[in-house]
Amino acid sequence: MIEYIGENLLAGQIGNFLIFLSFVASLLSVVFYYNSSELSLEINSWKRGGRFFFRLHSFSMAGLIGILFYLIYTHAFEYYYIWRHSSSDMSMKYIISSFWEGQEGSTMLWAFWNIVLGNILIFTTKKWEGSVMTIYATVQVFLSAMLLGIFPFDIQIGSNPFVLLREHADMFNLPFVSNPNYLGFVEGNGLNPLLQNYWMTIHPPTVFFGFATTLIPFAYALSALWKKRYQEWIKPALPWTFFGIGILGLGILMGGAWAYEALSFGGFWAWDPVENSSLVPWLVLVGAGHLMLINRNKMKSIFSAFALALFSFLLVVYSTYLTKSGILGETSVHSFADGLPGQLIIFLLFYLLIALYFLFKNGGQFLKKSEEDAFWSREFWMFLGALVLVISAFQITLSTSIPVINALFGTTLAPPAKPIEHYNSWQIPLTILVTLFVAISQYLKYKKTEVVPFFKKITPSFIISFAAAIIIAVLLEIRDVFLITLLFTSLFAVLANLDYLIRILKGNVKKGGSAIAHVGFGMVILGSVLSAGNKKIISKNRTQVNINFENNKDANNENVMLLRNDTVLMDSYYVTYTQRRVDGKHVYFDMDYLKVNEQGRYQKEFSLSPFVQLNEQMGNVPEPDTKHFLDKDIFTHITYADLENLDSTAQDTYREPDTLNLKIGDSLFTSNSIIKLANFERSINKEKLNLQEEDIALGVKITAKTLEGKYYEARPIMVIRGNSIFSISSEIEALGLEFGFAGIDPDTGKLKVLLAEKNKNSGDFVIMQAIVFPYINVLWIGIIVMVLGSLLAAWNRMMSGKSTN
Amino acid sequence: MKKSHIIGIIVIAIAIGAIISTVSDAATYADFGMAIKNPGKQFQVVGQLNKEKDIIYAPESNANEFSFFMVDKNGNEQKVIFNGAKPQDFERSEQVVITGSLEGENFLADKILMKCPSKYQDGEAGELTEITAESKS
Repeated sequence: MIEYIGENLLAGQIGNFLIFLSFVASLLSVVFYYNSSELSLEINSWKRGGRFFFRLHSFSMAGLIGILFYLIYTHAFEYYYIWRHSSSDMSMKYIISSFWEGQEGSTMLWAFWNIVLGNILIFTTKKWEGSVMTIYATVQVFLSAMLLGIFPFDIQIGSNPFVLLREHADMFNLPFVSNPNYLGFVEGNGLNPLLQNYWMTIHPPTVFFGFATTLIPFAYALSALWKKRYQEWIKPALPWTFFGIGILGLGILMGGAWAYEALSFGGFWAWDPVENSSLVPWLVLVGAGHLMLINRNKMKSIFSAFALALFSFLLVVYSTYLTKSGILGETSVHSFADGLPGQLIIFLLFYLLIALYFLFKNGGQFLKKSEEDAFWSREFWMFLGALVLVISAFQITLSTSIPVINALFGTTLAPPAKPIEHYNSWQIPLTILVTLFVAISQYLKYKKTEVVPFFKKITPSFIISFAAAIIIAVLLEIRDVFLITLLFTSLFAVLANLDYLIRILKGNVKKGGSAIAHVGFGMVILGSVLSAGNKKIISKNRTQVNINFENNKDANNENVMLLRNDTVLMDSYYVTYTQRRVDGKHVYFDMDYLKVNEQGRYQKEFSLSPFVQLNEQMGNVPEPDTKHFLDKDIFTHITYADLENLDSTAQDTYREPDTLNLKIGDSLFTSNSIIKLANFERSINKEKLNLQEEDIALGVKITAKTLEGKYYEARPIMVIRGNSIFSISSEIEALGLEFGFAGIDPDTGKLKVLLAEKNKNSGDFVIMQAIVFPYINVLWIGIIVMVLGSLLAAWNRMMSGKSTN
Repeated sequence: MKKSHIIGIIVIAIAIGAIISTVSDAATYADFGMAIKNPGKQFQVVGQLNKEKDIIYAPESNANEFSFFMVDKNGNEQKVIFNGAKPQDFERSEQVVITGSLEGENFLADKILMKCPSKYQDGEAGELTEITAESKS
C-alpha cells in the first residue's frame, strides 16, 4: 500500500456521501410527494415529508457543487475531473468555466437550477405542489443518478466527479501511480482553449437556467393531464413560460455571441447541431406560451397547448442526449465524447412515454372536440404562428438527428454537405411567416375583429416598412428575393409592434411586455438579415503578385496573404500587418487599418490584434478580433500563420543564401527593400580585414532602399587566395539582409552574389480573413429588447394571475 | 372543407417536404471508389492523411489552395484539393472527414473536419479535438 503525499481525500469522501444522499433524498421526495399529489391546499405529513426530502436533496446537491468548486479552486489534481478540466495557471473566470466543461459538472449545473426553481415552486404552486413537485423530484432522481458512478452487475450507472486520478480507468497502470509524491509534478490538463472566453463563463449557466425553466410548464401540463384539471394549470404556468422564453433565448444568443467573438465560424450562427438542439426547445416553448395564452380562457386548442408544453422539456432531454451521448460524433464541432448513452435514453424514454400516455389517454378527447376559430381573430393567427414554429422545430430536429436516424435505421446518411444553405432554405421562408404573424396579430382582437379598422391601423407600418425594405435592399445591394422579403416582414414586425406600443397602448410599458418582446424578436431577425445575410468578405483584393488561379475553378477569395509590413487594399481600408507579439500562450498579430488622408498619406484608423492561442495538448486555436462601429463590425481572423520559429534566436537566424547572378547596375526586390549593385570597390584595406599580402580582393557596393525610403549600404568582398575563392560577407542588420560576393562568371561577366535573409523577414506572413458585418448592433440590441420584453410579460402575467385569485 | 383540414393538409405536405429535403440534401458516407464512380456527386469520406506524401500549401502563391493525399477506410488513396487555407496543425490529424466531390482527377473538398489526438493520453481512448475548415463559394 502506497502512502500518497498531499492528497485531499476527505473532500471526495464527503462529496461521494452527498451524491448518495442527494439521490436517496430525491427518491424519498418522489415517494412522499406522490402520496400527496391530489390537488389540495391541505398540508399533511406526506407533503411535509416531500418538502423535507426535497430540501435535503437541495442541500446535498448544493454542498456537492460547493465541494467540486473548492477542489477546482485548490487545484486538487488528485481528482480526475479537476485534472482533466483545469490547470493551476487559470484565472477565476476560467475556474468557473472548467466546473461545467465536463459532463458531470454540466449535469450538476442543470440540477442546481432545478433545485433553485423547485424551492421557489414549493411556495408558489399551492394546490399543485404535490403533483408538480413529484415530477420535479423524479427529474432530480435521474440527474443525481447520473453522478453516482456505481457499477451494479457491470452496468455503469452515472459518472462520478470525485474519481481519483490514479484510480481512473485510463490511468491506473501508468507509472506515476506508483510514485507516492506524484502530486508534486502532476499538472492539470487545463480548459479547452475554445472555452477560454468570458462568454463561456456566462453562456452555459444561462442556457441551463433556460433548460431548467422548461420543466415548469412540463410539470404543470403533466399534472393537469394526470389530475384531469385541463385548464387551471395555465395561469400559474404562464409567467414561468415567458420567463423561460426570455432566459433560454438570452442563453442561446449568448452562445451565438461566443461563436461570433471566439470561433472562426465567421458569424454568430452556423446551424451547428449543438446550437440547433438548444434552439429547438426554445421554438417549441415559444409556441407553447402562445397556445397557453389563447387557451387560458377558452379551451379551443388545448390539446396542442398540452403537447407543446410537454415537448419543450422533452426536447431539452433529447438535446442533452444528442450532445452528451457522443452520437453527434463527426458532425459537430463541440460534442462531448464521453457519455452515458444508455442512461440518457432511459431518461428520455421515461418522460416521453409518460407524457404521450397522459396526452392521448386524458387529452385525446380534446383532439376531436376542437372548435374552429374565426379567421379574423387573434387566436387563429397565434395558432398558425405556433404551428409554423413547430414546423420549423421539426425541420431542424430532423436534419440534426441524421446520426440518430442512422443509428435507428442503419442508414449511412451524412449531415448536409452545405448545412447553412440547407437550413436557410427552410428557415428563411418559415421566418417570413412568423415575422408576418408577429406584425399583425397584436392588432387582431380575440374572438372577432372588425376588418376595416384593422387594416386602417396596420397600414402605416405596412407602407413604411415596405418602402424602407426596398430602399435598404437597393442601398445594400441585397439581391435575394427571400432575404428582401424577410427584410420587409421583420421591419414590419418591428414597426407594427412599436406603433402598437405607442398608439394603442399609449406608451404604457407595463402592459407592453409582449409588444416589446415582439419588437426585439423582429430586430433580431432584421439584424440577422442585415449582418449575416449581407456580410461582406473584404479580404479578397489580391494585390500581391504571383497569384496562381490554376486548379482553382471555384476560386474563392476569402483569404489573403499578408507579409509583414506589406500593405494591402481591402474594401476602403489599407491593411498592414505590422508585427507579431508573443504574450504567454497567445501570439498576437497586429493589423493596422489605414486610410489615405487628404494629403495622400496613410493614416491609421484603428488596429486589430487577432491571435492564436497556443495549446500543446489540444491544438492551437485562432481567435478573431473585431472592431465594433455603430453601423458595422470589422471582423479579422487568422486562418493560417507559421507558428514555428517563434523564439527570437530562431527569428534572428539567417536562412540558406540564394545565389544571384547580377551585373553592376542590376537591381531586384528583397522581402523588404530594393537592392542595387552600385559599383565595384577596388581599394580594399587588406590589413584591417586580416588578409594576406598576396590575396586579391574585390568589393562590390550594394545599396538597399526600403519602401519607406530609407537607405542602406553593404560591401561584400571577394577574396582570391591561390586557387580558392572565398567571400567576406556584409550585413545590413536593420533589414536582416546578408550579402556575399562569391565570384565572377568569366563568360558572362556576371557577379555571383549571395543573398541571405533572416527568418523573420519573409517567413513572417499570415493568411487572414476580414469580414464586414453591417448593422450587427441591431441584432444585439434586439436580443436585449426581446429578453426584457419577455421578462416584463412574465411579470405582468404573474401580477394578473395574483389579482384574479 | 373546414379550415383546420386545409391547414392540416398543408402541414403534412410541408413535413413530407422537410423529410425529402433532409434526405436529398444529406451527403452520403462513402469511400473514394464510390466517389470516382459518381463524379460531381457530393460525398463524405472518412479516412486518414497520408503523412508520407507531400502536403502542399504555398500561401505565397495561393493562400486558398491546399492539397494532400488521403487514404479512406478501404485503403484507397486519393489526392484531395481544398480551396481554402490549410487548417492549423493539419499534420497532426489522426482522422480526417472531408465533404466534396470528385472533379477531374482530384477530389475537391468543400469542408474538412479533422480530429487530432491529444498528447497527454497514451491510451487508445485518446480525446479528440475537432477542427473544421470550410470553403465558401
